[in-house]
Amino acid sequence: MFGYLVRRVLSALLVIVCVVFVVSAISKLVPGDIVDMMEAGNPGMTEQDKAILREQLGVNKPVFETFTSYLGGIFRGDLGNSTRLRSSAAVLIAERVPATLELALTALFLALIVALPLGILCALKQGTAIDYFGTIVSTFGVAVPNFLIGIILILVFSVELQWLPSTGYKGSVVVAAWEALKAWDGSVLWDRMRYILMPAVSLAFFAIALNTRLIRSTMLEVIRQDYLQFARAKGVPERTVYLKHALRNALIPTVTIVGLQLGTLLGGTFIIENVFAWPGIGRLAVQSIFWRDYPLIQASILVAACVFVLINLAVDLIYRLIDPRIRYVRH
Amino acid sequence: MSATSPASVESLDPPVAAGRRFVSELVRNPKGLTGFVLIFGVVFIAIFAPMLAGHDPTRQVLEARFLPPVFAEDGTWGHILGGDNLGRDILARVLYGSRTSILVALLVVFNAMVVGSILGAIAGYFGGLLDAVIMRIADFQLSFPFILVAILMLAIVGPGFWTMVFALSVALWVRFARLVRGETLKIRELEYIQAAKSIGVGHVAIIFSHVIPNVLPTIIVIATFDVAEVVIAEAAISFLGLGTQPPTPSWGMMISEGRNYLFENYWMALGPGIAIMTTSIAINLFGDFLRDTYDPRQERL
Repeated sequence: MFGYLVRRVLSALLVIVCVVFVVSAISKLVPGDIVDMMEAGNPGMTEQDKAILREQLGVNKPVFETFTSYLGGIFRGDLGNSTRLRSSAAVLIAERVPATLELALTALFLALIVALPLGILCALKQGTAIDYFGTIVSTFGVAVPNFLIGIILILVFSVELQWLPSTGYKGSVVVAAWEALKAWDGSVLWDRMRYILMPAVSLAFFAIALNTRLIRSTMLEVIRQDYLQFARAKGVPERTVYLKHALRNALIPTVTIVGLQLGTLLGGTFIIENVFAWPGIGRLAVQSIFWRDYPLIQASILVAACVFVLINLAVDLIYRLIDPRIRYVRH
Repeated sequence: MSATSPASVESLDPPVAAGRRFVSELVRNPKGLTGFVLIFGVVFIAIFAPMLAGHDPTRQVLEARFLPPVFAEDGTWGHILGGDNLGRDILARVLYGSRTSILVALLVVFNAMVVGSILGAIAGYFGGLLDAVIMRIADFQLSFPFILVAILMLAIVGPGFWTMVFALSVALWVRFARLVRGETLKIRELEYIQAAKSIGVGHVAIIFSHVIPNVLPTIIVIATFDVAEVVIAEAAISFLGLGTQPPTPSWGMMISEGRNYLFENYWMALGPGIAIMTTSIAINLFGDFLRDTYDPRQERL
């Protein structure tokens, strides 16, 4: 276990170093003069500003030196300054990470809580109307892009029914949940939840569809196993057979997939945040591309990639802990 | 092709036999057939868009600004899906938008397939340092979601149609490379390959006549799903404003324009939305059929 842990952490570190290298080399990879490009998105730049930027981005330095100075900056907590917003990129991003994580985690939660009963129900009622409904939902969910789901939700719940706000963010739901618990007042929580519901559902839709398919097919497979017949034969009630014996084994592949999905969901936030004006890293990254604000682009991509690598690492290690049968083979 | 030949199916030309099998499998599979017919429809629309549209998709007509579609109050048959915020005909833009989607999808999947397969074959066939370098880059890229890789590439080269094609191609080559590499490794040591080598068949010839035919079914299945993925990704990137630039019609961009007017003029997003949904579902249905028929080992995750 320990050897595996060390290897896994080292390989994650290596990936992060590669990310830092690629990100620091952006100033070299951009076709043309990067600072002239930035002037187009940031009017009113003086020659002096340009000189400072050239120095900061390491335009005139060799690639390796750019890399080491960028890496040095990271250790000092300095990711450069946003040219557009004129403040520290690290601070700008730190403010936005929680919103992105909260959105992705809520979507992950939804992906499980909806897909689990739907998948089980479809498997148990195979061939009935419920099963067809589940199949249609999963076919649509896999095929329809998340931003389109978002637009449809806005049309239904904001434009037609006027139940939910179409964009915006009023602060963390988790914090609100704590406050609501303390004050014993649900309205505080609902006021925040209204904003996260549609972004989270549109982000989760794809995962819900995939998980429903997966849970349905693994359940169907497990149900046919001999040991379930045996359990029935010795008089275990149907309910227990399904919920205890079958479900438990059907859950293993699901849990594996769900962990991997967190990454896909984080990728999806890059689009969904822009649909719902959700103030996370994804929105910041896309805005900074428009502004040609390269220090901010570098920083947001770096942070997004690192969050990603760390989450994958955590998921891997957690699996290893909860299911010792999963053995990792060295390549 | 004499009917008296005992093994008449086997004696057919391979492409003809494969074609017959394809048709007979397709007509027995309602989902696959639906997908195929819809894809055919989209391609047909893309080819004949100028004849079907009836309007110039970029022409701005003041009176057509926010014109409702024919099924709403005050709609006219002149502009079936209504007009957008600049008074352009939405139906014409939806029809022309299919060209953008199909063009990007074909270009990207072709690039990714060719480059990925070549790199995979090189890595598997020659091994050593070359293999290590190519596959480490592949692993590195695979540890991030596809859309993040594409956005990183767009951040470097800047927004635009061709940079989007480039970014998506770079983001997608990995799956093909891994597949072809795996197959090459498996086949490299087989006796008949050794025999072929000993009689002087070149590396390239071996790869093309022995490796590629073996992986072709899987490549086609992956490519089909990738087409769906690229159609969605093109729409998503253009929705963000980083891909196709105005005035070229793109479904994603149209939805993003409609996004600003959802409360008053919902129909601006309606046409392109239905178009993306139909295309993507069609390719997915057809892809499922291809996978079940030709490559049942593949699981889709």
